[in-house]
Formats: sequence, structure tokens, C-alpha cells
Amino acid sequence: MADETKSKVMERMEFIRSSLGKFAALMLGLVSALAARGAKKNNTLWQIDPFKCTQCEKCATECVIDPSAVKCVQQYPICGYCRLCFGYFTPTAPKLTSAAENQLCPTNAIERLFVEDPYWEYNILEDQCIGCAKCVKACEMFGNASFYLQVRHDLCVNCNNCSIAMACPSDAWERVPIDQPYILKA
Amino acid sequence: MTKQAGISMGIVTAVVLAAGYGMYFWMTLEPVLPVGVRYADVEAEIDAGTWGNKSGGGEDVNIEGTFKMFEGEAAGESQSWSNFRGEDFSNVVKNSVPLANSWPEGGPPVMWKVKLGEGHGGAAVLDGRVYILDYDEEEKGDALRVFSLKTGEEIWRRWYKAPTKRNHGVSRTVPAVTEKYTVTIGPRCYTMCVDTETGEYRWGIDMVADYGTDVPLWYTGQNPIIDNGVAVLAPGGTALMMGVDCETGEVVWETPNPDKWRMSHSSIIPMTLHGKRTYVYCTMGGVVGVSAEPEDLGTLLWKSNEWSGSVISPSPVQIDESRIFLTAGYGTGSMMMEVKKEGDAFSAAPIYALSVKEFGCEQQTPIFYKENIFAIMPKDAAALRGQFVCMNPDGKLVWTSGQTERYGLGPFLIADDKIFILNDNGIMTLINASLEGFTKLAESRVVPGHDAWGPMALVDGLLLLRDSKYMLCLDVRAH
Repeated sequence: MADETKSKVMERMEFIRSSLGKFAALMLGLVSALAARGAKKNNTLWQIDPFKCTQCEKCATECVIDPSAVKCVQQYPICGYCRLCFGYFTPTAPKLTSAAENQLCPTNAIERLFVEDPYWEYNILEDQCIGCAKCVKACEMFGNASFYLQVRHDLCVNCNNCSIAMACPSDAWERVPIDQPYILKA
Repeated sequence: MTKQAGISMGIVTAVVLAAGYGMYFWMTLEPVLPVGVRYADVEAEIDAGTWGNKSGGGEDVNIEGTFKMFEGEAAGESQSWSNFRGEDFSNVVKNSVPLANSWPEGGPPVMWKVKLGEGHGGAAVLDGRVYILDYDEEEKGDALRVFSLKTGEEIWRRWYKAPTKRNHGVSRTVPAVTEKYTVTIGPRCYTMCVDTETGEYRWGIDMVADYGTDVPLWYTGQNPIIDNGVAVLAPGGTALMMGVDCETGEVVWETPNPDKWRMSHSSIIPMTLHGKRTYVYCTMGGVVGVSAEPEDLGTLLWKSNEWSGSVISPSPVQIDESRIFLTAGYGTGSMMMEVKKEGDAFSAAPIYALSVKEFGCEQQTPIFYKENIFAIMPKDAAALRGQFVCMNPDGKLVWTSGQTERYGLGPFLIADDKIFILNDNGIMTLINASLEGFTKLAESRVVPGHDAWGPMALVDGLLLLRDSKYMLCLDVRAH
């Protein structure tokens, strides 16, 4: 009888120990899963939606690094390769040459190359681009909108609280998955 | 391993080895042509004198080209729309048949539809025939095509080889048609005159080769006019303006161009100013008035460089006997100009100028109707961008279409006291041509594609319009 009682007590202890162990394992697993999910959520980057961008020029002035991690990109299939490119030239450019007074870009960050008549190629020189969007605004207004701004992730420090995103008046900044770091136009 | 498996493995191995050897062999071959960057040496081209716009001239283009007949037949008598903006260049249909105030679901009935080369050339209509200067992408040349107004069947075509690279499409202009002659200007400034009915070739001019014309950016949008049997053209280059006898092809008058003002996308508009018939034209450099009177035909009466811009596309609009209205997009704005006459001398001076945010029109020419000016504001007009507006001649806006009703570079036309506005993407809006405000009557998608920029024409209640690839004839009559 005493042996039976002792046996039952042992079984109960075993049960409690086993249950606690399983509970602990369950909790550990749950915490690990939550941690993994949180870690996965943090694998995102800042990016500009070119369809929301209003070319306010804050990308050039608000970035914590200087010059800005935001650069203009050229989507060549959209470009018209026009001799008179309004993203390149000022509206009142007296001549269609690369002289500084004719250019819209304040930092000479657009390279203009003759391809063959009537086509000209426009390339962004990212080392010189400050992300001011002057070319983007004009290209969108008068051209095919092949110029637009994107965050360059080799430069961006991926601030948790991006100062440009906070200043953006058109809510064009969003977090994108790390494996899809750019928002390209079709 | 079985015998079969061994044989299979052997075959696969042999194929792989053969392929590998083939690839190695191919990669060790010297390239047939050297591979290099395709960019021209600009400085060298300037030194060689080959630099500049090579979009026309320098090639031996046989403008007479090739003629082909088809099965179509003219529709018989009809109202006419014989040149750009109609007979009187106003873009207002006179004596229109009653037109519908509303359309069925799906829009006005489509009478016919034809496929064209990519571009923006508009139609002219005479005696039941529709004339359009198309670009034949297969044959690579400008093609004057004539269709039946009733059925859309092609009647005849005359085309000439003039390969042209697409630059927002290719075709651009509206033919000028009289009972006897039809004159066309191609995108690279090849000018052709043919017999209106038979298509028989009369003459051709290469304005680039013969007059040093600088083909405007994105090719020329200048539409020819025919005045008393004379084709009036504005080549820029060595001649500011000239008249060519349609019968013989002889240049009967030329206006010198000492300022070297260049051809724009604008067209010559005949006006009567202070009782004097005048050809008014906006060049790249300024605006000019050239006499259209027999006693001093071709004489420069007045000019002004107060009006200029980087891209001039709209044509001048006559307000009254002494005022003309000028406008453009791309940052230029608008100007009301007064032409004065003192004795026999004429002069022109601005009355007022408007910034692009106050009034402008980028591609189409405004319409002067009911003593007011109707237009679509350009893209850089800030809050008013793309809105259809009505402005009085004093420069004050009367009404706008509002923030939710915006349009693009597409054409607009007035008929039966209604305004037809075609958006870039093929949506047509019908509004009252009222001074009271913007009142929409109907709206529908009428063409399938994009870049619907070509000028429209309306005859007998049939509206001819296009997008970049198709021309359609719509029945907009009231039934």
C-alpha cells in the first residue's frame, strides 16, 4: 500500500516535471519563432515610390549623409532619346549644348551623348548626383518620365527613422523587402 | 551497368564533348566586324561639316515615288475640310449638321477604322475623299493615302521612300487639298504636289536640300496651305517663306530670311489685318507677317522677335483686324500682339504677355470662338495644368474645367456649338461651347490606343480622328 502510494507520488512528480519541461520547450519555441519573425521583418530597406514622388527636392537636403543616398536613375526603355531633353536642358536654353548655362542639373550629373540622328543618350553620373529631382520634375512634365529618384543601397545607411521619409510631403517613402530593393517603373 | 545504359551514356558523353568543342572553336574565332561603341565623334563631325540635323536632305529621295490604285470609291459630294483647321483655319465647323448631345454606351458609332503607321498626321476631306499623309512602316516612306469618307476603303496611294526613325511616331501633318491640287509636307520636309483626283505627280521639293531647312525637333509639324493655286511654305533656311505654283512647281515668290529664323512646328495662317491679306507665321526666332496681296506678294510686312520659345507648336490665332494671339508650352506662355499700320508701313508689338501658369497651350492651337479663346493648359501650368479653359481677349480666365477634368496634348474642335476634346489616351469629352462654364455633355473612349494627338476633322456629322496607330470615322450626328 505504501509502495503504491509512493509510486503514485513518483508518477505525479514525473508528470509535473515532464509537463513543465514540455511547457518550457513550448515557450522557448514560441519565443524563438517570434524573434525570427521580428528579425525577418527588419530585413527591409527604404525606397521611393516614383509614382508618388512629387520632386519636392527634400531628398537632396534631408538625408543624414551628404551627398544624399538618393540618386536619379534613368530607365532607358522609357526614354525618348530626344535631342531636346527637358530633363537635361533648361526651358530657356539658348543652345542645345552641354554648356553649364543650358543645363537644368546644378551639378553636371547628366551625361549627354550623341548616338545617331535623331537619338541622344542621357546617363546619370551618380557620383555627382545629389538627388535634387530637378531633372525628374522636368522629364515627368515634358518627357517620358524615364528619370526618377531611387535610394541607392550601397550608400544608404538604412536609418530606422529615415529623416527624408519623415520630411516627404507625398508619403512616397516605404519599406521594401531586402530582396526587392528598388521600385521600378514598368 | 547494363549494355543499353552504357550505350546511352556513351552517346550523351559524345554529344556533350562535341558541343563543348564547338563552343570552344566558336569562341576562338576572330569577330567578323570590330565591336565598338556606336557613338559619333561629335567634334569630328562638326569639323567635317556633317554635324547638324541630318533628318532630311543629302539623300536622293525620289518624291514622285510609287502610285497604287485600290478598290475604294469616293463617297460623292460632301462638306469639305480641305486643310489644317478647316477652310478658314478656325477649327470651327461652319454650317454643321445637328450633332448628338449624348452618346450611346460605347461612344458614337464607328463608321470605319483603318490602320496607319505610327504618328499623328491628320485628315483633310474633299468631295467624299479623305486625304492623309501617313508613314508606311513596311516600305519606309511617306505615303499620301486617300480613303472613301463613307466606307473607309482606300482609293489610291502615292508613296516615296524616305526612311525615318520613329521619334514619338513619324507622321505629323495635314494635307492641303483643292479641287485640282493636293500638297503634303512630310516629317522630314519632303514636299509633294499631286492631282487631287487622280494622284498624278506634279512636283516635289526637298526643303532641306534646296533651302537648307533645319528639320525641327521631333520632325516638322508645319501644315501646307494652298492659296489661289499656289502652295505657301515656310522652309526657314535661305527662304523665310515661299510660294510654289501648284501647276508647274515653279517658285513664284520667296521672302528672304536675313535673320535666319528657322522652321517651327507652327503653320502659316492667312489673315486679313488692316484690310491687307497677310500670311502670319511663328518661326523659331520670331513671328512674321508676309503679304498675300498680288501687288506685293511675298513681301515681309512686319516681324517681331518679342515672341519666341524653345518649342513653338501652336499656330497664330486671329482675334480681330489688328490683334493676333500667340501661345506655346514648354515654359513659354502666351502673348497678344497688335499689328499696327501707319501709312503703308506695318509693325507689330506686344499688348500683353502671359506666363505659362496664366495661359498657354502646348501642342494644339487654341480656338477663338464667341469672342473668347479656348485651349488646354500645358503641363507646366501648375494648378491649372491640363485643364480646358476659356479666356477673354483681355487675358482673364472666364472659366476652367476644374481639378477633376484634365486633358493632355490631344486635339479639340468646335461644331454645332459643342466642343470635342480628345485626351491622349483616346477618351473623348463633349462639352457645351458656352461662356457660362464647363458643362460636360458626354464622355467615352473612342480610340483604342495612346498618343491621340493628331488634328481632327468633322464633315457632314462624321468625325475623323486618330490615335498613334488607327484612324476612325465616328458618326456624331443627332439621330
